[in-house]
This record gives sequence, C-alpha cells and structure tokens, in this order.
Amino acid sequence: MTRANVTDDIEAIVEDTDLPRRLKDDVYSTIEERDVTVEEADQIAKAVQSRYQETRVDPLDPVGTVSAQSIGEPGTQMTMNTFHYAGVAEIDVTQGLPRLIELVDARKTPDTPMMTVHLEDEYATDREKAHEVVWKIEATRILALGDISTNVADMLVQIDLNEETLMERWPTVDQVEDVAEEIAETIESKLAVQTRQAGTMIEFGPEEPSYRDLLQLVEELREVVFKGIEDISRVVIRKEETDEGEEFVLYTEGSAFGDVLGIEGIDASRTTCNNIHEIYRNLGIEAARETLINETMHTLEEQGLDDVNIRHLMLVADIMTNRGEIESIGRHGISGNKESVLARAAYEVTVNHLLDAAIHGEVDVLEGVIENVIVGKPVQLGTGDVDLRMGASQD
Amino acid sequence: MVDVSQHELVPDHSIVDEDVLDDVLEEYNIKKTDLPKIKRTDPATPDEAEVGDVIKIVRNSRTTDQAVVYRLVVS
Repeated sequence: MTRANVTDDIEAIVEDTDLPRRLKDDVYSTIEERDVTVEEADQIAKAVQSRYQETRVDPLDPVGTVSAQSIGEPGTQMTMNTFHYAGVAEIDVTQGLPRLIELVDARKTPDTPMMTVHLEDEYATDREKAHEVVWKIEATRILALGDISTNVADMLVQIDLNEETLMERWPTVDQVEDVAEEIAETIESKLAVQTRQAGTMIEFGPEEPSYRDLLQLVEELREVVFKGIEDISRVVIRKEETDEGEEFVLYTEGSAFGDVLGIEGIDASRTTCNNIHEIYRNLGIEAARETLINETMHTLEEQGLDDVNIRHLMLVADIMTNRGEIESIGRHGISGNKESVLARAAYEVTVNHLLDAAIHGEVDVLEGVIENVIVGKPVQLGTGDVDLRMGASQD
Repeated sequence: MVDVSQHELVPDHSIVDEDVLDDVLEEYNIKKTDLPKIKRTDPATPDEAEVGDVIKIVRNSRTTDQAVVYRLVVS
C-alpha cells in the first residue's frame, strides 16, 4: 500500500513502528497536514510509539480486578428497579442494573427478549412489502381476525371473521374464502374437531354436548397461532435514516432469531436480537461475544455511564466465551470452575466446597489471588510476583 | 440454512496451517490447549475443521483496527 501524500522514506519510518493500524493512519494524516521533513516525521513516529508503549498494560497488572472495579462502581449508580420505558419504537426493554445482571449471569432467556429485524431490497423501502414481512413474523391469534361467540343452545363456537383483516394479513391470497378455509383447517388440526365453514363464518362444537368442553375449546382456540411465529407477540415498524436513504426496520417483542433468519425479505446479515444464547446457537461464539459487548456497553450508555472503557467489557466478554460456549460469571460459571478450592470456597457455599474437596483429596497450589489473601502470603501480581535476591559479591 | 459468515457480527474464521501455528504458539510461549476454544459444532466453524485444529479469527476490533485471535477446535 502506497500513500499519495507521503514519501517512501516517511512511509518506511511509520510502518516500522510498533503501532496498530489506526494509530499509524492517524500519524499519516498528521504528517500530511503539517508538511514535515523526514527527520521530523521520524521524531513524531518515535514520540507516538513511546507514548503508546507507556499506556499499555504492564506485565502482571491485575486487569480482571481493575475491570471488576471499573464496572462495579458505575453499577452502584444504576437504577435498581426495572423501569420499563417506551424507548425505541415503544417496546419495553429491561435496562439498568437488572439487565446488566442478566447479561453477566448469562440467563437462558432475557426478561424482555426482542429483535431488531432489518429488511433487504424492496422490502426495506416499500411499506406494503415491509408489512408482508410483519405478518409473517407476528403471531396472529383468532382475536385479531374476528369475533368469537359461544352458542350454548346448539353447543357451538361461532367465529365471524373480519374480511378486511383477512385480506390485509394474507396479502398473497386473492379470495377471502380461501383464507377462511385455511383457518378452518388449522382449527381442525390443532383442536381435533370438525368445522363447518361458509363464507367468513366458521362454527364447530365438542363431540358430546358438554358445557365444560365448549368453554375449553374457546380457551384453546384463543391460543392457536394462525400465522407468524408463536414467540413474537408484537412487531413495530419504523422508518429509519441510513447513509443510503430511508429504510424500514422492524422491532419485535419476543424473539425467535433462528426462525426469522430464514424468512424471505429479511436481511440475514444485519438482523440481531438481545438474547446472547440465541445468537450463540445461530451465529456462533464470536458473534455471541460481540453481542455481549454491544449489549453491556449499550446498557451502561443508556444510564449515562458511557465513560466506562470498552476494554473492561471486552475482557468480561472474552472470559465468558473463553471455553467456546457462554459461561456465566458466578457460582455456576467462571467462579465455580476455578482450579483452586479456597478460591471457590471463598465465593459462595463455602462448606460444600471444602467438604467435597476433603472427600476427593484436592490440593491447592496457592497460585491465585484469593488463596494467597486467605493464607496471608504475598499475592503473585505486580511486584509480588518478583523475587529479589541480593548478590553475594560486590564489584 | 442461512450463510452465517455473511452476518456482520461474525468475523472471518479460517483454519491455521500447522507450521504457521508453531510460530504463533512460540510467539506467545503457550501450548495449543492454552488457547481459547471453539466448538466443532459452532455455526461459524469452517466445515472442514476437525477437533484439534486451530481457527484464526480476524475481528474488526473497537480498540485497534483489526485484532487477530486464535481458537482451538474442541468437540
């Protein structure tokens, strides 16, 4: 790669430094602006390099402890109670401390799962097309389609479907009767009953006349999903500004990341969700790590605590994904899998750990921080790791 | 199924050659088993990777432009 505005000499000097790409680029742009000589460029590069090396973490620095403090202190300022708020697109999202705890605990399902669904091509620009995708995702239950009434005299459940709603939600079907037929078939297979359908009216009843069975059928009917994905209860459509103009973005309440990725019209390269386990299952450990960092940083930013350095969150995410799967921070995850008995016992359920260790004859080599604090030895960090000996001879 | 590698959250995964790997391990002065792990069944693991292979991952890093990390494939 050659740069237009700097000489080969300067480029050789800068490329020779021990700097990361981004800093090198910064050095180039500074040099270009100031019109400097080769000697000056050399001085600039040297100065930047020494500054960069100074700010690096020293060997034996307790980065984990520093991270814990750096996330813990702002954590004390976060909202304790789950204030659901109508933020982006009026969807309730858990935030603040509960969300942060949820993330580091690696809960299987978040309190408020949600997805951000991006669309591709004409689906992103055409509102009608975008709505087509919405109906494919959002779970459609019977109450959204028409009115149910129970006829106790004839022991029948009667459904009066709304014609307009049907045409809106099944945009690809031309005839209302076809949709009604499809709905009737779904009811037959899900509830195991015989239905009679005429126009937009559907009626069915229990095999034996029984008031209890009739009510039971109505209850079950309410839960049947006729279209869309069961876990997604609501979809909000929003127009957003991008670099290339405007596009429609969908926000969903509830998530089914794997199912959604396969749906036509969805941009499977940008769609995300806030459940790290779903990301891990569908996109792998690296994507899960990325999402963890994004979500933790976002949670902190939301609370105005954006001056937490991203490196701390990256470290947390690195540790949580170190074994190739998501581990929580705590008794069942990272802390519970520590080698040292004393370290585990110091965390939670002390007696159980000590008892188990005694039964199995475990040995503690006293290498970690906690063990050494317990036994009162210098911790093997920083200067504590270095043994100094005085030389016998003097010269 | 969807092509996982196309997703913007998924960085490049590639298998590391045996001799390149030795240089890497020597540079960091570690054993292969000290590396972070990745599951054989992980959606982003290249199809031809086997248990014991090392995967090179080139991330778009937030702190440097690109960060190269390695993961050992485990079952």
